[in-house]
Amino acid sequence: MDPIIALSLVLALVAGATVLGLVWRARQGRAAVVAPGATAAQDTPLTPADVASRLPFGANGTLVQFSTDHCARCPGTHVLLAGLAGQRPGVAHVDVDLTHRRDLANRFGILQTPTTLILDGTGRVRARIGGVPNRSDLLQQLDHLTGSTHDQLTPVTR
Amino acid sequence: MTSSPPSPADTRPDLDPRGPRFGAAITAGLLLVVVFLSLTGASVAALVGLAGLAALFAWGAFAGAGRHPYSMLFKRFVRPRLNPPVALESAAPPTFAQGVGLLVTLTGVVLGLVGVAPAVGVCAAIAFVAAFLNAVFDYCLGCQMYLLLVRAGLLGRPVA
Repeated sequence: MDPIIALSLVLALVAGATVLGLVWRARQGRAAVVAPGATAAQDTPLTPADVASRLPFGANGTLVQFSTDHCARCPGTHVLLAGLAGQRPGVAHVDVDLTHRRDLANRFGILQTPTTLILDGTGRVRARIGGVPNRSDLLQQLDHLTGSTHDQLTPVTR
Repeated sequence: MTSSPPSPADTRPDLDPRGPRFGAAITAGLLLVVVFLSLTGASVAALVGLAGLAALFAWGAFAGAGRHPYSMLFKRFVRPRLNPPVALESAAPPTFAQGVGLLVTLTGVVLGLVGVAPAVGVCAAIAFVAAFLNAVFDYCLGCQMYLLLVRAGLLGRPVA
């Protein structure tokens, strides 16, 4: 192949990888709202037993973090979520190790760690965050949770 | 209220996360050279280059990401010029990623040896994308592959 064409293909490869990286980064850590009534499975409230947690869920909401023992960002995310949960009354943080719980990873369709589910006071999934949570997204979701405890039917919007 | 994080003894945070990214940047550059050589028809040079990179991946995968030659370079020459790391990370995910890199590059080498010359360039390109995303965007391939292999049932089977 002509070196100029080969060089162009190499540059195209770099450009493609850059686009891939930008798309990936834009999606990382953003809270994806789970609309109530989307599917029956999503509407079923979760219990601590559903995520193999020995700790109870919070009265106002729970941050369910999924980790493995091969996860560079999970410890940092743990610190972030535990800190935020500690500042809010009735909000719990649960860290679930998927390393030996393939069933849970499959049930919740976890494709990356950390992944965080934001549950309301009833245990229903309100939002989902893939990757290290974006702090302001997370705070917004927590505000909605504590604000919507009197009217559970109000959909969470961003 | 919080539960304890999964932290087995061998995954204690002890690695400057910028080390693996520094190494990934060098690896990505070298993989691009292999892709270029393969495209221009320099099959032997491309095969030798990819075999060399596979050997480096093997070093990282078996000795650990913290003992990789690039990691040594980083500790000796780069880290002293940088601010202290914000946080240390476990060496387990980048070490695992080195194993994934070894698998991909070794596949290219084996296919190249049995006469499938384009496979050398294709495997180098795949490995390049992973190394590039790691270096530039801090994407952790090891973390993601590990979870997907757990989900496939190949790793982390339930403790009997």
